[in-house]
Amino acid sequence: MKEKKKDDGEMAEELEKNSYRFWIWSIASMIFRFCIILFPENINLSSRPELSTPLTSLCRLAEGYWLKQASMSPYSGSMYHGSPLLLSLLGPLTVHGIEGQWNHHLCSLVFVVSDILSAVLLRATGQQLEKAYRLNLRRLGLLKASRDRGILPCGDIAALVYLWNPFTILSCVGLSTSPIENLAVIVSLYGAVTRRVPLAAFGLIMATHLSLYPATLVIPLIFLLGYGLDAPPRKLFLQTRDREGEPGQDKLTRTTQLPFLWKTVLHFVFWVLVWSIYVLVLCSLSLKQYGGLEEMFKRTYGFILNIEDLSPNIGVFWYFFAEAFDFSRNYFLIVFQIYMFLSILLPLARRLKHRPCFIAFVYLAFSSILKSYPSVGDAALYLSLWALFVNELTDMKHSFFIFCGYIGFSLLSPVMHNLWIWRGTGNANFYYANAMGYACFQFMFVEESVSAMLNHDQALKKATAEMTKN
Amino acid sequence: MAADNRYEEEEVRTDDGSPITKPRPIVRLGIFLVAHSPVFSVVFSAAGVLALLLLPLLAKNTYISENALMPGSARSMLSNRDASDGSKLVKDIKNFRLNHEGQGVEVQRLIGKYMSEMVAEVYYQKFQPEGNQFHPLHFFSGPASYTLLRNVSCASYGVNVVGIIRAPRGDGKESIVLVTPYDFINGGDYEDLSLGVVSSLFSLLSRVTWLSKDIIWLVADSRYGDYRPVAAWLAEYHTPSFKVSDQLKCDELNTADNFRRAGTVAAALVLKVDGRSERFEDILSIYADASNGQMPNLDLINVVNYLAVHRQGFHVKVEKVVSLLSSSWLKIVGEIFEAVGKVAHTLNPDWKFGIPAAEYIEGSATLASSLYSQAFGIPTGPHGAFRDYQVDAITLKISPGFPPDSKARQHDFFLRGSQLLEGTIRSVNNLLEKFHQSFFLYLLTSPSKFISVGVYMIAFALLVASLPMVAASLYVDGCKALTKSTHNSAENFKSWKWLDAAKQVFALHLLGFIVTLLPYFICQVPGQHSPRNRSIMWGTTSSLLLVTFVTIPGCSPFSSRLHGTNWAILKSVTISAAFIGLCLMSIINFATAEIGALLLVPTCLLAQPIKPALRSRRVKSLLGAFCSMVLVTIGFPVIFFAITKGLVGEGLVGLSLGGEFWTWLESLWAWKSATYLYIGMVHLPCWLLCVCILFHPS
Repeated sequence: MKEKKKDDGEMAEELEKNSYRFWIWSIASMIFRFCIILFPENINLSSRPELSTPLTSLCRLAEGYWLKQASMSPYSGSMYHGSPLLLSLLGPLTVHGIEGQWNHHLCSLVFVVSDILSAVLLRATGQQLEKAYRLNLRRLGLLKASRDRGILPCGDIAALVYLWNPFTILSCVGLSTSPIENLAVIVSLYGAVTRRVPLAAFGLIMATHLSLYPATLVIPLIFLLGYGLDAPPRKLFLQTRDREGEPGQDKLTRTTQLPFLWKTVLHFVFWVLVWSIYVLVLCSLSLKQYGGLEEMFKRTYGFILNIEDLSPNIGVFWYFFAEAFDFSRNYFLIVFQIYMFLSILLPLARRLKHRPCFIAFVYLAFSSILKSYPSVGDAALYLSLWALFVNELTDMKHSFFIFCGYIGFSLLSPVMHNLWIWRGTGNANFYYANAMGYACFQFMFVEESVSAMLNHDQALKKATAEMTKN
Repeated sequence: MAADNRYEEEEVRTDDGSPITKPRPIVRLGIFLVAHSPVFSVVFSAAGVLALLLLPLLAKNTYISENALMPGSARSMLSNRDASDGSKLVKDIKNFRLNHEGQGVEVQRLIGKYMSEMVAEVYYQKFQPEGNQFHPLHFFSGPASYTLLRNVSCASYGVNVVGIIRAPRGDGKESIVLVTPYDFINGGDYEDLSLGVVSSLFSLLSRVTWLSKDIIWLVADSRYGDYRPVAAWLAEYHTPSFKVSDQLKCDELNTADNFRRAGTVAAALVLKVDGRSERFEDILSIYADASNGQMPNLDLINVVNYLAVHRQGFHVKVEKVVSLLSSSWLKIVGEIFEAVGKVAHTLNPDWKFGIPAAEYIEGSATLASSLYSQAFGIPTGPHGAFRDYQVDAITLKISPGFPPDSKARQHDFFLRGSQLLEGTIRSVNNLLEKFHQSFFLYLLTSPSKFISVGVYMIAFALLVASLPMVAASLYVDGCKALTKSTHNSAENFKSWKWLDAAKQVFALHLLGFIVTLLPYFICQVPGQHSPRNRSIMWGTTSSLLLVTFVTIPGCSPFSSRLHGTNWAILKSVTISAAFIGLCLMSIINFATAEIGALLLVPTCLLAQPIKPALRSRRVKSLLGAFCSMVLVTIGFPVIFFAITKGLVGEGLVGLSLGGEFWTWLESLWAWKSATYLYIGMVHLPCWLLCVCILFHPS
């Protein structure tokens, strides 16, 4: 008993130390961001195709705001394709300028704040997941108190991975609105993990409103609210209960064998409806003179689904649709968009339904590969969500190879772009080859993560089976 | 080795999920290569060096790829009258110079007057000669980020004279530029000749009816170097600044508001005439390298070469490393290749890859010079400025074979020179699109022979191919060693053991980045400092930084913690970093990557802790340790620089070396050469890591 208390004391100390270190590192990341923001003239980051897409570019947003101020539709001229709400929020910040050049410092401040907020929410999410992981292992009887320390603080790791990921930093200082989109996604996950249903619904609706693809998150969110946090497959708990068969465990068993909580889910659906109506009303109010909601849907979601802008980005679609014949364009559009839904979303949802947060990671990763206008900001989001599962994914294969691939291809991208655009000695194929290689490594990363997760479940199963035998 | 193999196979099998099925053939091939990596790395590296030596043999003859060019198909329209126009201009300038000593602007007016007599639009452009401005983040940015004029002083500025002939058949959207660098204050007699050649041509072009691209003649004021005036004119041509520059108020020559343009530049030819050639005939040297190893389209060189050799009878040459011509080892290599070629020819008469040894030596010397100038990333003439705007340009340097006062031969020279230019312009004039048919990435082994990217990349690929293999095999070894040393499986991250090593590698690359940026801050230090002092400052701050880095416990490679990273994984990560860096550099500037790989690959492969080698006292391991020490010593950039200087013939020792090195680096900054970035951010960190591995406390 005494020993355990001592252990607890040590652990509390360690926790305090950890959180102390976490805050130091996050403040350092903030200072680092400000440093880069203050020397902007040298690095014209906002024009990089890797960072700002037609959807997330702040320059385009400023243009849209200007059009709106001039009593024109912000969507006229195919410049702006984002949300009208974002226009009203960020637009005023883009006009304070000196000598005709708009001042980006205020906007950058917003992005830094949203990055920090995301990190804090990620940390809270991670702490919940870590707690659940510990609890589950204890229930399965695989975890002794003394071995507790082998479990990593995944919340801190995920938050720091988010804050110090070069992709996040670049998209934060590179004047793209992806930090805000990422924040919305993380808010929804945080809300679902902490069972704050209205917050989860709000995050989901905002994320969907801003960039459409997070709509797929509705599946993991419903699982999260219905079944609870990530856990090993339910069968394992049944096995352990059979083994123990003590009357005192009844309560526990009941909690482990959670039924699907229809009530919470219905609550969630209700809030989703409320928030979506709310957002739609706000949008229609702000676009009343400029064609209303119909125009908005056409210019934002239509723009995303139709892949109208074929300017180069790190995705795999622009080149394909630049080459495809016009008469087959619609066919390919439908095939590609449906491919994502049918062949990826549903099977994964079935296979991994006991791990809803992990499903969210996989969905976000897939959408960042197959999205029409991806940027490195999307990669930043899924990489930090991945870090939430460091405990489960310790055995991931080929991690070093994938890491090298990520580094190589992200450095190669500006070089290929330079070769094509500035030097003229390369052509579009060079840049597209790079995009394909990058997508390939992303696929490999997701595939390895999923198989590592399944292996982890297998290992748990084996361990519990052995325990039952003994 | 067999154990490795088994281990790997096991890993792969579990990957597939089914332990019984055999891995796919490609996976098995990979495992085989990784398992026998020491043998294969030696074989591949040797093959890489051999392939480099073979390159002169593999050179192909150049050919005109774009059909529209049709060089030499039209009869030259240049008459004696045009040539005498040129002679007249030269005579006038000479007379003028005799009468008015040191009045630069007047000479420019004279040239301007001549141009306007030929119905050309004439204007004058003032520019500011700029010092070597080092800005670390300006690498790779496009020409848009050209630094604007800041503190303008009226004391020193240059004036370019520009004349434009509008094409009778053109729509003013395309143009061809002719550049003659000319020092208005103290230009020599030979420089006058270049003006004479172009003015003869200009007099013809003002009359012809076939012109469909406007012709711009830029007389660049070369008082401040050849490159700067051309760059200034191009910057103004492409990115006009709408602010009124203070410079305009400086002088009587009014240059405001009359800058004229003539559409996109299709091609540019820079003509220089300098010193007399040693032979009796006129020698035409072609310079083509622009910054960062960029070359103009090969078709442009082909056209000039074809016309010069087959129509005008010039002796055409490209630069060579002269010291290689007399080197005995190259001669031996050449003779061996020749013998092998002969043997092959006797075996099968269809095999014709042997070339005479003398030709091989010539080709190698030219190839070496081509590699050398591309690797520095410094343009070899004013044509380099055009490449920044995606314009194909070359410099033609003619060394006439007669003294400057020989009137009869001068007339003939004007005729031939301007006929060459006329033919080239006529070819370019035929083009409907930009130059795109022929190669952009090539190395020259003679004016009419080239090696294309597909061939020379093989040498590089073979050289670096051993890196990923060795990295993989070391990674497997290191992981096994770590698994043995740490028995506690709960704390053991099976797949993430490389993270510690990656941290160290990252820390040293960060250090390299900071060291790369340091000169920018050293340049900001107030006061005048000699290059030697600056290099001392740089050296001391860098070593201080290194010491601080090493003392930080987390990222120091020397920290010998109990379960610290073992050197195999550190080496594996280092090699991976070197591989990524070299591959990136090979795309930016092939020649730098090739030379860098020749240095870095053996260093990285041979690096091993010397402590165990010394302890074991076996000859083999001692020899290995000695080799790696030698390689590491040579690999340090300053020492390599000294060695290359020594090979060229300038022995340098002690502190003057630092000054020289600094000056050399300054020239790299001035030209935005990516070689500097490579040295600072790839070579130096990898070199440091190799040193760390050598002295690893294992």
